[in-house]
Amino acid sequence: MNIASHLATSRPRAWLFRLVLFSLVWWLLTDGATASWPVAVPVILIATLLSVRLMPALSWSVPGMLLFVPYFLWHSMRGGVDVARRAMHPQLPISPVLFDYRFRLPPGLPRVFMANIVSLLPGTLSVEIDSEILRVHVLDEAGDTRQELALLENRLAAIFGLTLSFVDSEGQH
Amino acid sequence: MSFTDILTVLLLLAGASFFLAGTVGLLRFPDVYTRLHALTKADNLGLGLMLAGLALQAESWTVVARLLLIWVLILLASSSVAHLVVRTAQQKGIRPWKR
Amino acid sequence: MDAVYLAVALFLLLTLVAGLWRVLRGPTAADRMLAAQLFGTTAVACVLLLAQLYQRPSLRDVALVFALLAAVAAVAFVRRAWREKS
Repeated sequence: MNIASHLATSRPRAWLFRLVLFSLVWWLLTDGATASWPVAVPVILIATLLSVRLMPALSWSVPGMLLFVPYFLWHSMRGGVDVARRAMHPQLPISPVLFDYRFRLPPGLPRVFMANIVSLLPGTLSVEIDSEILRVHVLDEAGDTRQELALLENRLAAIFGLTLSFVDSEGQH
Repeated sequence: MSFTDILTVLLLLAGASFFLAGTVGLLRFPDVYTRLHALTKADNLGLGLMLAGLALQAESWTVVARLLLIWVLILLASSSVAHLVVRTAQQKGIRPWKR
Repeated sequence: MDAVYLAVALFLLLTLVAGLWRVLRGPTAADRMLAAQLFGTTAVACVLLLAQLYQRPSLRDVALVFALLAAVAAVAFVRRAWREKS
């Protein structure tokens, strides 16, 4: 695909956002060294071009993301303390189990994002994404995994500006 | 010691204890799946709390942003590793340990 | 404060030494890899503590490179070493 037609089809907001993001990262990595800008400008442009080419523009909401950060930190903390307690306990009170969760999120990036977050939260680990199912390895079967995952999914849906229905066959895009 | 210093010490100690718990989990947990649980905990929480403690002492905002960038990179690595290792373990037919 | 940074860094090194037990025991290559992955994160934390202790901001760049390499090393391991050797 040539660049001109790609520019026309992709959304300018995604371009702008990624341009700013990569510039910010460069600025951080080089500590704002102005001497590096002759190198920086082409590199940032190429990075932006590649990223828009490889990862399609995706709508996501800033408030949804901002609300998700404290949620993620709190659940990391809660899960982490629980897993740490189990690891240190003399009797090692763990009872791992595989759990199948049916996605309500649409296929593509939102599902991959969810699988990664599930892996990062202590106590759960994504095993595989199998069409409509997210298989999760849970460190201890006590606790309502289904409900926890459903709540997490709601939060992620808010980031991507989606509304979830319980009926899978209804197109939710 | 200022209030910020005390907070830093607490955060560093909390972070260190998650590194300890992660290591203990890595040594005691029975299979590769459960050991991955120990790993993500040390990565996510241990490093996160430590970096938060160090960020309080940072001399400028760029340092804070760099520490944040390091954390995000490690999180990205951690979840990708977890995914790849688990998938390969599945393909090799390694069954999760059951009590 | 300097004593705290040093003590925490030393403590992290001790956990790293303990983690070597997992490298020794295995049993699979992946178990050893997980220990190595944890060492990478521990090293990042240690280097950042030392950057603060000795007031050497350049050490933060070292930590950044460690963080970047952590992902590459693990992906390379799973794709090459563990797949091919059954």
